[in-house]
Amino acid sequence: MAQLQTIPTRPARVAALNRRYRHRAAIQVLREALSDPELGRVAMVSSFGADSVALLHMISLIDRTTPVLFIDTQMLFPETLTYQAEVAAKLGLTDVRTIRATPAAIAAADPDGDLNQTNPDACCDLRKTVPLNRALSSFDSWITGRKRFQGATRSEMEFFEEDPAGDRIKINPLAHWTARDVADYIANNRLPRHPLVSKGYPSIGCMPCTSPVKEGEDPRAGRWRGQDKTECGIHFVNGKMQRIPPAAPAPFVPADGQPVIVRDSGFGPEDWTGPILDLASDADLDDPDLRVGDATMIRIAFPSFTDGRGFTLARRLRVAGYKGRLRATGYVIADQLPMARRSGFDEVEIDADLARRQPWPHWRDAADAAPSYLKKLGRRAS
Amino acid sequence: MARKFEPVVISANDLFDGRVIYLTGADEWVPHLNQAELITEEDHAKHRMAHALALSDRAVGVFLAPARPGPDGPVPGHPREAFRANGPSNYFHGKQAEA
Amino acid sequence: MYHHSEFDRAFVIDRAERFRDQVNRRISGALTEEEFRPLRLMNGVYLQLHAYMLRIAIPYGTISPDQMRRLAHIADRWDKGYGHFTTRQNIQFNWPKLVDIPDMLDSLAEVGMHAIQTSGNTIRNVTADHFSGAAADEIADPRPYAELIRQWSTDHPEFQFLPRKFKIAVSGSPNDRAVVKSHDIGLRMVRRDDQIGFEVSVGGGLGRTPLVGKVVNEFVPTTDLLPYLEAILSAYNTVGRRDNKYKARLKIAVQELGIDHIRELVEARFAETRPMFDGSDQAVLAEIAKQFAQPELVEGRSTAAYDAARDADPVFRSWADTNLHDHKNPDYAIVTVSTKKHGATPGDATSDQMRLLADIAEEYGQGDLRISHEQNVVMPHIHRADLPAIHAKLREAGLGTANIGLVSDIIACPGLDYCALATARSIPIAQQIATRFDELKLEHEIGELKIKISGCINACGHHHVGHIGILGLDRAGVENYQVTLGGDGTETMSVGERAGPGFSKDEIIPAIERLVQGYLAIREDEDETFLQAYRRLGPAPFKAALYPAEEKAA
Repeated sequence: MAQLQTIPTRPARVAALNRRYRHRAAIQVLREALSDPELGRVAMVSSFGADSVALLHMISLIDRTTPVLFIDTQMLFPETLTYQAEVAAKLGLTDVRTIRATPAAIAAADPDGDLNQTNPDACCDLRKTVPLNRALSSFDSWITGRKRFQGATRSEMEFFEEDPAGDRIKINPLAHWTARDVADYIANNRLPRHPLVSKGYPSIGCMPCTSPVKEGEDPRAGRWRGQDKTECGIHFVNGKMQRIPPAAPAPFVPADGQPVIVRDSGFGPEDWTGPILDLASDADLDDPDLRVGDATMIRIAFPSFTDGRGFTLARRLRVAGYKGRLRATGYVIADQLPMARRSGFDEVEIDADLARRQPWPHWRDAADAAPSYLKKLGRRAS
Repeated sequence: MARKFEPVVISANDLFDGRVIYLTGADEWVPHLNQAELITEEDHAKHRMAHALALSDRAVGVFLAPARPGPDGPVPGHPREAFRANGPSNYFHGKQAEA
Repeated sequence: MYHHSEFDRAFVIDRAERFRDQVNRRISGALTEEEFRPLRLMNGVYLQLHAYMLRIAIPYGTISPDQMRRLAHIADRWDKGYGHFTTRQNIQFNWPKLVDIPDMLDSLAEVGMHAIQTSGNTIRNVTADHFSGAAADEIADPRPYAELIRQWSTDHPEFQFLPRKFKIAVSGSPNDRAVVKSHDIGLRMVRRDDQIGFEVSVGGGLGRTPLVGKVVNEFVPTTDLLPYLEAILSAYNTVGRRDNKYKARLKIAVQELGIDHIRELVEARFAETRPMFDGSDQAVLAEIAKQFAQPELVEGRSTAAYDAARDADPVFRSWADTNLHDHKNPDYAIVTVSTKKHGATPGDATSDQMRLLADIAEEYGQGDLRISHEQNVVMPHIHRADLPAIHAKLREAGLGTANIGLVSDIIACPGLDYCALATARSIPIAQQIATRFDELKLEHEIGELKIKISGCINACGHHHVGHIGILGLDRAGVENYQVTLGGDGTETMSVGERAGPGFSKDEIIPAIERLVQGYLAIREDEDETFLQAYRRLGPAPFKAALYPAEEKAA
């Protein structure tokens, strides 16, 4: 008897996702979520508030083109707007979409801009919930920066949640982070902090509804101080799930006798027609006859994947100021791609046999941005 | 004078759990030395070794292990092989505990 | 204690995930065994005689109670209920299945542990004085520097495929408890004009060519530490030999090229590496240092209970005499728990013992546990008043042996019982020596005596630096044991000299007994240690004790 294909219910899918991603670190949840077909099209929603830069930085490491929705309530601190532009530029985020209520809606519901004083929930609804809901309608899942420590209402939060109001899934990669983790991450990666943090605002929303908190207070105590309200409106929205399969990679078939060039974008054919300076793995870079400065392409041989001299050669060339193309050639295996890239190589040249045995996905998975201690320690490779 | 060829069996470790395995005359990898094929001629050893390497998907570190004929099949031909065949001497672990 | 940050956690989880993928690719055939081998070694997985072996890093020997409990859990769940502490302050499990190892790594990652760089031709897990942060004689705690080095060396893209393995040790005291000069790089903390820095030695090592490290720089300020280390590694990756694995260690390059040549090369590379560091490492170091702040010790609590127990209980007194070391605070002591009960396998601990150690450390010891390179477990901050209670608990669990630094506190490698490289067994020799001297009840009279046993020339049992070293070899298919004399693994490091022909496994125990009895007969007084007597008298009387028949013949 044929087994019936059943489409799992959303609670079941969320539970399965939480099981699958249990014990994962934030960056892994994020990396995998961005390519997991279960989650469809994913956007990140960011306030560019006090802690946002950590998650934005991770996004920028994984895929700078990820859509980032920034809600401008038109009641924000001017510092937030400046900071938003600064962070987006520094991290190279290419798809930041500013979301605002329509002028017509503002004119109808809050012409004098004082709705926050009479009915803050309605103000949030007008300036956050409705515009965000509209913007999210073309996404299946969205990433938030919410964390368990941020208050009693979030203490049980998992990596994945049903969006209570819609058919979307909320992804909370930082669910298990503590305030210290956020601070460590921001410090270790030397990321710019929101200018209001140093003025006593650990959680930053709209100007009229945010005040500084005191040492030892719940960091969100400054939000809607004196009111019952604890959630910000972004996290209760309506929406519909739509499925779009991820785009297929461009086909390239390795051919016998032809080199395969491995780059960050995938396998490809040889495309270099200029002169090549070939260096053996025991090349002496201090030899004055070796005129590396004139080269436009230097190719360093790896006679065996266990011979790591080429990594030091590459790094020394880069530190000496070599700006041309740098290629590792010979016996380099997929798991060494991150070492090659971090040592200054642009690409790796392998033969078709190895390319067939270790196809592109093996290289891609190996190259996925693992956290780098050297970067944290401020050691550059060029 | 050519050195006398000492008898051997073909041995390896299992890829999945690392345990010691031996090759039988019927090309099967088995955990017990006494079921292994005892090889007494050098040319046959070379031939069987090449064959073992070709079929060795689950065998890691295939090599010719010294062995001697015994009443119930091959027995270890070197102290190292005795430990491989039985287990360590400080605990009753390994193959001696599985028998 | 170092707080594992989200960064560290993300890193180890990522590595565990990569290893799971590598195992899958090995099984699918995408990776050949030859390709897989260095990848598994990068994650601590060896293939030994009977099974795989997983070596888990305990960086600079520092481990928390939760981590210790996790090791106990791993021993029960995936191994045979015990683990083996090693001479590089790591722990090994002898019976994991390859297919289970990714799960074991996941489980370790949950408590911030991993097996990264415990094997392979890379910078190995950095080691440090096991009394760091507690010892009375210390200039400063070396662990912040060790942690900085751990971070720098972890997954360093340039140094994962070095000519050979590379070991770094750090000591913060004039009394070297980390054998720094037997490492590729030995860092000995020194103070110069109120500035802390390191005397850097290179080219030390044991193995088949035992060499004492040579000083390449008398004072490297801590601000230059990473660029300087990077310069040494960069030079080594260029000049280290790749044509012969037995000549590939840095020590051979230092021996062949000379320390002056190496110094020039390192200085030239340092000019390249210094500008590569923008100074952020110093901010990271400052953050790390905060986490190694001195624990809050109780002031004014009476130590009368300790004094009373000493007076009343000779067993306790004997243990206190051998297993305690001076703490910075005289009300406290550093406790070394012996894993060398007479007749037991040196360095082994059962899962129950691990849990007990975790509980004691949590209840009495600031949650601080250390693994020493002598394969014992250290609790560095114990109030003296708590010692009688701790001793009682340890005794009940077979951990109360009073033998630290004595003849039965033997370092032994796993030897031919487990190791694929070994040529003879080490463990049974250690067991028999310990049992024999326990029977003779001479141990405390003999005093300090370090016996170290290796089961092959690679010298994992540090036999070269044993006052008495024993090296197990294979002589025509029979185990044979050579004795070396006069080795020393401290700041006065020296390599032992071979005494003469080897002994069979039945002869070696009586030979060691003769040797020790011979020492007792010729020492000046009971304060003169074996090593001091050897240095005073030279090898002749000791050889005479070892080889009495020959003397008669001559």
